[in-house]
Amino acid sequence: MAINPMHQFNIYRIGPEIKLGEVDISFTNSSLFMVISSLAILILFNLGTKKNYLIPNKIQLLAELSYGFISKMISDTAGSKAKPYFAFIFSLFMFVLFCNMIGMIPYSFTVTSHIIVTFVLAAFIFIGVTIIGFIKHGVGYLKLFVPSGVPLVLMPLIVIIEIISYLSRPVSLSVRLFANMMAGHTMMKVFGGFVISLGIVGGWLPLSFSVALTGLEILVAFLQAYVFAILTCIYLNDALNLHH
Amino acid sequence: MPKDRFKTRLEIAKNKILKKSTVSNQSSSSKLGAALKLSTEMVAAVVVGTIIGFILDNWFGTKPWLILMFFFVGVIAGILNVVRSAKDMQYKD
Repeated sequence: MAINPMHQFNIYRIGPEIKLGEVDISFTNSSLFMVISSLAILILFNLGTKKNYLIPNKIQLLAELSYGFISKMISDTAGSKAKPYFAFIFSLFMFVLFCNMIGMIPYSFTVTSHIIVTFVLAAFIFIGVTIIGFIKHGVGYLKLFVPSGVPLVLMPLIVIIEIISYLSRPVSLSVRLFANMMAGHTMMKVFGGFVISLGIVGGWLPLSFSVALTGLEILVAFLQAYVFAILTCIYLNDALNLHH
Repeated sequence: MPKDRFKTRLEIAKNKILKKSTVSNQSSSSKLGAALKLSTEMVAAVVVGTIIGFILDNWFGTKPWLILMFFFVGVIAGILNVVRSAKDMQYKD
């Protein structure tokens, strides 16, 4: 039935069809897994912070470790000025990480393997960072597009190049996450299909590949969430501390 | 004095932690992340440049020319992006 490796990315409706004007806003399997990941994060941090033991138990340790990890990442890449944005970056990292990791469970759906989801996240970051930049620096934020020490003749070309490079940020951010997740999951499905079609005689080689790929995919799932968060920090750093 | 000895030991331990955190600042996973980052950096700028060229072409009705120009400007921007993030990595090490 699900020999087609792209079948896992199908989106279907759960429950009744809901329409807001022309837009279909029904509850789909994608929304279901977003809700599941958000609930998982909430449960983890509720359990982890309910009782503050001096010697933490496992869940508290996990919550504290992830807090310390993101806090260190923000102070390393964006400096102390970015501290007020900790809550946003932390929830962003956790959401992407949980979506990726829950997607690794067999028969589940990977929310981040659809470009519209990652692009909305990236566009949100992009617009937010631009607004922060204009609030902090006023019109001076446009200096980002005018590097110092460029001859006047080359200026129009350089400004166009800088604007394209700035606009390419949300695209590269979203395409990276989506492409990695989709490629990995497709590859796993393809190797899984080989196991079935080669049967008990020749199926052992693709099966071992599948096992190795699962490990690799768990690494990629973590890494992509990390890269997503660290790039948000870097863009935030550009907006907060304007320099070239 | 046990209190004095404790203080010196604490001092030594603190120094050790400080040294450790400055040495292993770049973990291996963040290096892998940087490597993955470079590949899409180039492609994204080209795509954005081409899309801008396409939109402007439709606006001004200069069908093939602006899209061609902005494609190459996008390539330049992509190379610039890659060089820039590679430079950032060098500074960090």
